[in-house]
Amino acid sequence: MSRSSPPTCACWLLETIVPTPYREAILGDLIEEYTIRAESTSRSTASRWFWSQACRSVPSMIWSSLRSGNCFTSMSVAVGVYVFMATLKLAADWMITKAVSPDQTTRVIVAPIVFLTAAAIGGCIAGRIRRGATIFLASMVTITVAVSIYLKVCTIPVPWWYELGFLTLGPLAVIVTPTLFGRLKQQGPVT
Amino acid sequence: MKRGELLGSLEHIILLALVRLDGNAHGMIVRREIDERTGRNISIGAVYATLERLETKGYVSSFTGEPTPERGGRAKRMFRVEAAGKRALEVSEQTIRSMTAGLKDRWRTI
Repeated sequence: MSRSSPPTCACWLLETIVPTPYREAILGDLIEEYTIRAESTSRSTASRWFWSQACRSVPSMIWSSLRSGNCFTSMSVAVGVYVFMATLKLAADWMITKAVSPDQTTRVIVAPIVFLTAAAIGGCIAGRIRRGATIFLASMVTITVAVSIYLKVCTIPVPWWYELGFLTLGPLAVIVTPTLFGRLKQQGPVT
Repeated sequence: MKRGELLGSLEHIILLALVRLDGNAHGMIVRREIDERTGRNISIGAVYATLERLETKGYVSSFTGEPTPERGGRAKRMFRVEAAGKRALEVSEQTIRSMTAGLKDRWRTI
């Protein structure tokens, strides 16, 4: 974070939540005000103000999206991509089983790779179609993993951090991958 | 403005702020104006959500300005009050005036 750049995470939060028509305007306004505040007070005070504005804006923006129907479109996109992701993972699992008939240890090693790859691909597709859909998709992945852990779907004995890895890295892959590929920056006009 | 339809309190305040700012301002200026005059620290998201609602109702219109480096290359969205917005303000003001007329003495007894 340089002298005049606002908190990256707060910017990302707003880029993800704020509907397209006002995204540029809101971020631009906040960045301009942040710069003024950082020069007149201090960077930490300005950052606190920026975070406060970003967090307090989220409910209004979600409500605004719900009113305009944006949220439902994002949710629909997320559900579609989620089904695609699940199909992709099942197909990959089936192909691996057919090709190498893996033992338990190999399964434990391969499962997170397949899962995270499917999550990353799903995240990229969701972000490409609609930026806001990645949040819903990440939530759906979190819920699926949490339910799987609760129901003890995995019959192979694994350490606690293995399952925790799925729970944290899965949603993170969905959200972070589109940003890493720089797709979110180009998706303004699409959504 | 439909008969019986009144402006919400935030809609009312934001429309008044736009009028004060010569009917031509962007969200952050509106937020600052309200903060300075009323002490209400409204979030920028709430300001834009209300402006969007007012725009849907036809009370304000907006246009996009030029992107500037101070804004990280992002454009401003400027808002101005439309004739329907001015009428809505007048109706709201009139309604408030009618309802508060003659209540001055009663305030003391409440």
